[in-house]
Amino acid sequence: MEPARSSGGGSGNSCTYTPEIAETLRFEEEIQSLMRDGSSPANGSSFTALLGLAPSQAVELLHEPGEIYRRSGALLPLGCSPTFPSNAALVERAARFSVFAAAGDSPQASHSGGHAPLPKPEPADSDSGERPQRPAKRKDADRSKAKPPPKKSRSGEEGKGKPTEESEKLPYVHVRARRGQATDSHSLAERARREKINARMKLLQELVPGCSKISGTALVLDEIINHVQSLQRLVEFLSMRLAAVTPRIDFSGIDSFLSAECGRVTAGGGEMGMWTEEGMGNVGRQEQENMCDIDVVQTETQEERQQWDRDETQDQHQPHVFIGNPATSLFAYDPATSVPLHANQLKTEL
Amino acid sequence: MLASASIEAGSTSGKKQRTGSPNQAQIKWRTGAQERIYNRRLIEALRAARGAARPGAHAVKEAADSALALTARGQSRWSRAILTSRLRRRKLLVKAVGRIRRRRRSPVPSKRDPAAMKVGRVVPGCRSLPAPTLLEEAADYVAALEMQVKAMRALADALSSARIASPESEAAES
Repeated sequence: MEPARSSGGGSGNSCTYTPEIAETLRFEEEIQSLMRDGSSPANGSSFTALLGLAPSQAVELLHEPGEIYRRSGALLPLGCSPTFPSNAALVERAARFSVFAAAGDSPQASHSGGHAPLPKPEPADSDSGERPQRPAKRKDADRSKAKPPPKKSRSGEEGKGKPTEESEKLPYVHVRARRGQATDSHSLAERARREKINARMKLLQELVPGCSKISGTALVLDEIINHVQSLQRLVEFLSMRLAAVTPRIDFSGIDSFLSAECGRVTAGGGEMGMWTEEGMGNVGRQEQENMCDIDVVQTETQEERQQWDRDETQDQHQPHVFIGNPATSLFAYDPATSVPLHANQLKTEL
Repeated sequence: MLASASIEAGSTSGKKQRTGSPNQAQIKWRTGAQERIYNRRLIEALRAARGAARPGAHAVKEAADSALALTARGQSRWSRAILTSRLRRRKLLVKAVGRIRRRRRSPVPSKRDPAAMKVGRVVPGCRSLPAPTLLEEAADYVAALEMQVKAMRALADALSSARIASPESEAAES
């Protein structure tokens, strides 16, 4: 109780002053300071979460009343959402006045009367929203006021830590200035930017294997670059392999095979033996032996393309789209079973 | 909390929209649907490339990269850059599809981390970019590359195994 009263006294108001006058004066100070600063916390919407942190805020208020006054002053003229003005007013009062019981009603009346220069919806909001929230705030204020000295440094750090976390979670960017640091918009924006970059870097570290152990931005970046280059080299190498294999093979039925195979691959692991199943599954639906007959395949490309378009939309559910695929398996993985069938079908086709 | 939410959503839907979190990139590129789509495109591209120079390893690589960029649906800068570099005439179309903003070629060093410029050089189309965008693109690119490698390796293995099998069947039939 004592520190609040003394702070109220220190700002030039004695205990004989009525609370209303004191508040009016203080708010005018804030408005002036706001016009002077024009700082980025003037983006009033940013204080939702800050004001939601009642305990830490109340503590902060006790220790840095000037800052909060400035900020709350910044809030009010902008006509923000209804909760803000009530919260701001409440928190301020919690910081300055120890007991509200006696002066409970009078500050409200003066609050609405005294803020002529401020926007109109505000006093109504503050009046309506104040009462239910007031007891909670008062309790927090009393609790935090009970032990200010030992918690001073810790609470300052907490107040530091929380808002900087908040800036990452919330859609709007707002960062509370840390103790002893500048509050100009440049440093705040820069800090937010740095945090964004660090968050992205952390996620990149998780993506690249073996990077989470490395500490230091430069080394991590080097590791990432090495990883990307090695992947690119792998792609080149594999493309060479594919180029070596490709001219011999036709690609008419491969998409069906691969759609099934990739479902298997994503499940984890893969054996060549699995492909024989696919080959045998496709045998029953085969109409054509693609390997021997390239010309016939060429004419089918159009149908296949249409089929592929349809398949792509269907493919989201199951890898069984090749049921409707006219051009089926191309590879005879199990020559013993598939070859005789191929031969029979060839005779019927040609 | 962001990561866990995105993982849950990713498991239910096959493809996720990019919301700016790099973990999204990882999840987006590892879904089975994406792999299948890429394989399809890869085969199409390979077939198209086959008409040109047959043993062209470069052609195969370019086809694979184009297929990868296509699978990205032009949502990322590197994919747009790849597609743009391939198609001379259809640059405008690709840019319109990708809804690319007018990229200001401003080599302003203030927002750029000189160490991060190295990353910009490796990722296609990300030479001069601010650091957070660059890192995002890099994460997406790494995830996409991993998927590409996996798919190409599977395809190469499949083809080589089939190639081993096919001469036998041909010999048996004839």
